[in-house]
This record gives sequence, C-alpha cells and structure tokens, in this order.
Amino acid sequence: MSPLQFAWRSLSRQPARAWLGLTGMAVVGALLFDMLLLSRGLLVSFRDLLESTGFDIRVTATEALPGMGPALSDAASTAERLRGLPELADVVPVRFGSVALDDGDADGGGLRGAKRRGLAIVASEPRRRAEWKVVQGSDLAERGPGGRPEIVVNRAFAREEKVEPGSLVRLGSAPPAREFRVAGIVEFPFEAAGERMAGVTLAGFLDAFPAARRDEADLLLVASRPAVGAEAAVAAIRRARPDLHTFSIEDVLERLRQAEFSYFRQVSVVLATIASFFALLLVTTLLTVSVNQRLGEVAALRALGFSRRRITADLVAESALLVGGGGIVAVPLGLALARALDSILRRMPDLPQRLHFFVFEPRALALHAGFLVLAALLAAAYPVLLAARLPIAATLRKESVS
Amino acid sequence: MSARAAIVEARGLAKVYPMPAGPVEALREVSLTVEPGDYVAISGPSGCGKSTLLHLLGCVDTPTSGSLLFEGRPVLALREEERSRIRLRRIGFVFQRFYLLPMLTAWENVELVQSEAGLPAAERRARTRELLTYVGLADRAGHRPSQLSGGEMQRVAIARALANRPGLVLADEPTGELDEETGEQIADLFDRVNADGTALVVVTHNLALAGRARRRLAMRSGRLAEPAAVAAT
Repeated sequence: MSPLQFAWRSLSRQPARAWLGLTGMAVVGALLFDMLLLSRGLLVSFRDLLESTGFDIRVTATEALPGMGPALSDAASTAERLRGLPELADVVPVRFGSVALDDGDADGGGLRGAKRRGLAIVASEPRRRAEWKVVQGSDLAERGPGGRPEIVVNRAFAREEKVEPGSLVRLGSAPPAREFRVAGIVEFPFEAAGERMAGVTLAGFLDAFPAARRDEADLLLVASRPAVGAEAAVAAIRRARPDLHTFSIEDVLERLRQAEFSYFRQVSVVLATIASFFALLLVTTLLTVSVNQRLGEVAALRALGFSRRRITADLVAESALLVGGGGIVAVPLGLALARALDSILRRMPDLPQRLHFFVFEPRALALHAGFLVLAALLAAAYPVLLAARLPIAATLRKESVS
Repeated sequence: MSARAAIVEARGLAKVYPMPAGPVEALREVSLTVEPGDYVAISGPSGCGKSTLLHLLGCVDTPTSGSLLFEGRPVLALREEERSRIRLRRIGFVFQRFYLLPMLTAWENVELVQSEAGLPAAERRARTRELLTYVGLADRAGHRPSQLSGGEMQRVAIARALANRPGLVLADEPTGELDEETGEQIADLFDRVNADGTALVVVTHNLALAGRARRRLAMRSGRLAEPAAVAAT
C-alpha cells in the first residue's frame, strides 16, 4: 500500500476531520488564489487595454501622463520624421480635450442636448488603428456629407443624448459652437463606466476647440514593425529624438507597477501571506491532533518495523491530500469569488470599464500550486517530527498503562 | 544446551530510565538467550521490567549497559534504520491492544507489513491468504477491526506478526484484553506457531498461557529469577 493510498484510508477513517480540513483549505485556498490574481490583475488588464489600441509605443513631450503635461509642438513634422524610421510601422498624433455640450435648439433635427454636460474628446487621424471600436454606424471620415465635421460617440453619450448615426451635435469649447455629424457609435478602450466620450479627427478637434494651438499633440501613438519589436523601435525613436519621452508598454507598466498599482500588490501580498499562514495552521493542527490521537498506533507500526521514512511519507501524503484536495476546489471557488470582488472594485469612479482587478493567468495557477506544495510540506513538518521522534518503547508502555 | 546459533543473546542487560525524581532501574543484570524454536514465558508483577526486557529483545529500545546480539549482530552498534529492518523482517510483535489499523481490513493489516518489506504482490496475496486460513479467519478477510471480536483481532495480529516469516515472535500480554476462553484459543494458536518452528517470547500474567511455554522465567524488580527449566510437554 503506497503512502498516498495509506493517507487516503487514514483520512477516510475520520470523515468529519477530512471534510473540515478540505473545506477549510478550499476557503483559505480560494482567498490565496484571489490574492494571486489581484497581485498582477491590474497590470495584466492594463497591458491588454494598452495592446488593444494596436500601438505598442507612446511618445510624449514630458514625463507627465498624456493630457496632463505640455503638448508636443510640431506634431505633424515630428510624426512625419518618425514615420521615416525603418523600425516603425505607424505614427499617429493624438489630442485630448474636454468640452461642454451645447444645449442649443435642435435645428438640425438630431441635437438633443438639454443640459450643459462634459464630454471627453479624443482626436486622431483616420490612419489610427484601434483607438476605438465601431459598434454601430461607420467610422470617421475627414469630412462628412456637406463638409460637416464628423464625430463618433460612445454608448453612454448616445444613450443620454439620444443620438444615433446621422444625428447632429453641437460642440464648442467657446461660442460659437460647431455642428458635428454623428458617424457612428464606438467603444473606447479606456472609457469609464458612464463616462461620455467622443472621437473626432484632428481637424475636427480644431473645430471643437478653435482656441487650441495648431500642430500640437498630447501624445504620439507608435506601432513598431512586428519583426523589429518595441524595444528596438523605442531605441530608434530615442536616437532620432532624444528630447522626447518614449515609452514601450513595458515601460508604462513598470511605471504603474512602481507607483499607482503598488498599493494593490502590497494588499495582495499581505492577504496572501495571512491566507497561507491560516492554511498552514489549519492543516498542521489537524495533522498534529490526528497524530496525537494515534500515538500508540504509530509506535506499534514503528515496532513492527515501519521506518521513519515511511511514517514521514504517510504524513506528508496525508497533508498533500488535504492541501491538494482543498486547493483544487479553491480554484473554481476563487474564480467565483474573484468575479464578485472584481465587480465591487470596478464600481470605483473614473476607472476604465474594461479594466479588471482580478485577471486569470496560468502563472497565478502555477504559483497557487507552488504555494500549496510548500504549505503541504510545512504543515506536515511538525506532525512528522512528532511521529518520527516518538520513543517507541516508552509510548507503548504509556499506552498499555493508560 | 542447543548447538544452534541463538536468535537473541543478552548478557548483563541493564536499563535505567532518567526520571525527575531520580533514575529508575528497570532492568538489572539480565542475561537471556533465545534459540530457534524456543518458547519462553516471562511472568512477574506489574512494573517489574517484563515489557522493558521484551522491547530490548525486540530491538525496539536499547539497553543502558550490557550486550545484546540479534542473530549474532550487536544491536547497540546498529543504526535505527538497521534495527527497524530487523524488526520488520526477523521479529514479529503481538501487542495486548492488538494495534490493528482500524481503517484497513484484516487482509490489508496482514498484507501491509509484507508490502513494507517489499514483497511482490503475488507473493503477498498468497502469504496473506495462507496466514488468515492458518489463524482461522479466511472468511473474515474483508472485515475491519471494528467488525471483529477481541479474539479475532488478536488472531489477525498474530497473522500480521508472522507475515514476514520472522524467526522470533514477541508477545506482550497477548491475552490481557481477552476472556479466559478466548485466551485459551490464542494460547492454542501460539502452540501451533511454536510447533511450526517460530521462537516465542511471551510476557504474561496469564498462568495458563505461561504454563504452555517450555521455559518459564520469573521477574522481580528488574531481575530475572533463576530460570526454572520446564520439561517440554
């Protein structure tokens, strides 16, 4: 009978104890698994968002986040120069702005703005990749029918303003407001829940913000050539324009890792440590109680010639069954719990809708398994010590007297 | 005296237990030889050192002083792993409280020690069947200890003790938990085991059981009384 079979029979001998151990391990394991998902979830999710735009490099004028610092001047010529680099596949200037929706009359038949409410504007060129995804209608053209500038809006805006493709909206950072034709309804990767967003061309941006300086960009989105890779492309840009600040997705993530997201990482490390400690405590207690209850049996087995190694293997196998069984149940339980926790955390204001706190990745599963193996070994350590160092004769004598 | 090599040869064994109130001498100058086929009974009052002697003879414990040879090998010089191997392959133990594993069937209890000794599965199966038939429990092979009577459990324990064909079986109060009639059945079984060539050392208060041994030794305050040779019946 192998140690694993022996351990299984030992556990089945006290089903209540086994169920208690498995349930406890499943709950604690689920918490541990969730903390592993949380520790990198935001970064993985943020990487997905960044990658979903189709650009793997961001170029700004300063270290500040795009839109928060000074804009790039000479955007068109800079973009043109960078397009000349063989490492780059595409360069697109982007501008950000925020505008109030004009509540003027619905003279175009489609304007429904009843109150002055904010609208975040993203301006880009028609050559853009996936800064937004069209879900209804069509994408922007440089100029719409009748020479009107076009706009794409997100669902929140379309729902609140009751607009659809073909509707007209009047935008303007300063009077007089300019009329835009809604070309389509789109999804922006970084839009927050309920946030009103719209996309326009760079020329349209100047229509909405007549006072804005021409030929500026808050950000250059750059796509490297797949054969070259982001790092080489970043190096090429830095060589060509050392005055600019160039970030690969890895650079952006590293910056977030060290600053904005470190809080979640610290929380997850603390909670994962506590969860591991409780898992350890639970299994150690169960095994120690079990060994103490059968000291006579262990001594008899040793007297019959069972080696210390065999007794150790039996206890480690018992620990592995408890921890492993509970750990396996912990995965689906943890995923369900993660989904619930994620939906709570995502209610925080101003977070991109598509950003998740708990993200499954195989690495988390491997780490979870690694933690469990370690927990099983450590949990078995004290009971093993107790059983292996058991004085056989003294124990048998004590048992027969009692 | 037989010319055959002794299974156990103890000379001047002493065992002292360090206790908070001062050391306790459990054995004093005990010498004993057990030869193949011997049947030795050791009797004496509680606490006189019988079980201590049995544990020393069975390589479960080591003496404080004296010499102990098991099949010619000095036990004190052996590492714990080697003593463990001797216990597994050359010595069988029968306990007062049986110590059958409750989650295993009678069959599995008997097979387990063979499995630990590394016997092939086919050989284990044949030996287990043979032993359960030998102790009269072939029809109870699939029963767990909780489904067996005290006498049946002790018979399974004897089958387990014989599983690896030991040269010596040590029994510590094997009838201590049994009624008189069941004790008699166990005594009969020990007679058969000994008649089939296995040496037996039995520590017992049961005079009827002790009376069946060819050598009866009395123990008092850690000393063996002059062995009273008993003519084989």
